[in-house]
Amino acid sequence: MAETTGDRPATGEGPGRVLVAVYGVFALAAGARAAVQLSTRFAEAPVAYLLSALAAAVYVVATVALARGGRRVALVAITVELVGVLVVGTLSLVDRAAFPDETVWSAYGRGYLFIPLVLPVVGLLYLRRTARTPSR
Amino acid sequence: MTLLLVVAVTVAAGLLALAGVASTLARRRIGLLHLWGAALLEVLLLVQGALAVVQLVRGERLADTPTFLGYLAGIVLLPVAGALWARTEPSRWAGTVLAVAAGAVGVMIWRLLELWEATGG
Repeated sequence: MAETTGDRPATGEGPGRVLVAVYGVFALAAGARAAVQLSTRFAEAPVAYLLSALAAAVYVVATVALARGGRRVALVAITVELVGVLVVGTLSLVDRAAFPDETVWSAYGRGYLFIPLVLPVVGLLYLRRTARTPSR
Repeated sequence: MTLLLVVAVTVAAGLLALAGVASTLARRRIGLLHLWGAALLEVLLLVQGALAVVQLVRGERLADTPTFLGYLAGIVLLPVAGALWARTEPSRWAGTVLAVAAGAVGVMIWRLLELWEATGG
């Protein structure tokens, strides 16, 4: 499944598989949370819950792209993730009323041990590293 | 939800995470021990989940039932997904993959207990 694209190494093997696992956990956690928020109380805070759904979608895309070695898609998804956690993290602290309910990215992912803040940085570094070294 | 089972899940998840990290540090692939550990964790979660669903059907009221069910559905997937994703990894990193899944279970089970104990008004 995780085929190497061209001469570059796969992103879903070796240590990359651990990264995929962490992304998978967040795809699951953010997805479950967004699904509940959108289906039961969307009207309470549409913007916050749509951002929550965006976060979930980004984690799903990043997980699949990393697992299958889709470097370009992974790069875009992880970049969106980094921007998202910084923007939503800041907004949730500045304007608490707009974010009445915790999302994965609230307060830079404080509710998740700040892993949402660290994860995109690790992801980008990993993509860089594997792009340069041809072997693991 | 019972505290006893939550503790049992935490211990099983902790041991599985340790076994996973140990195999990575020892530069070894995962063995049968890890798969049995994941299976045990899954059984504990299914028992806990079944008990919770039975209690809900019998009229137990929570402050936030949808979130509880969402987390419950997620947590029972974790050991299975972790084991499948680790099994096809031929390197020492398979153990860390299992450890990530086990660690997530160990954290989420306490979040579930919290959601369970917040009763609806």
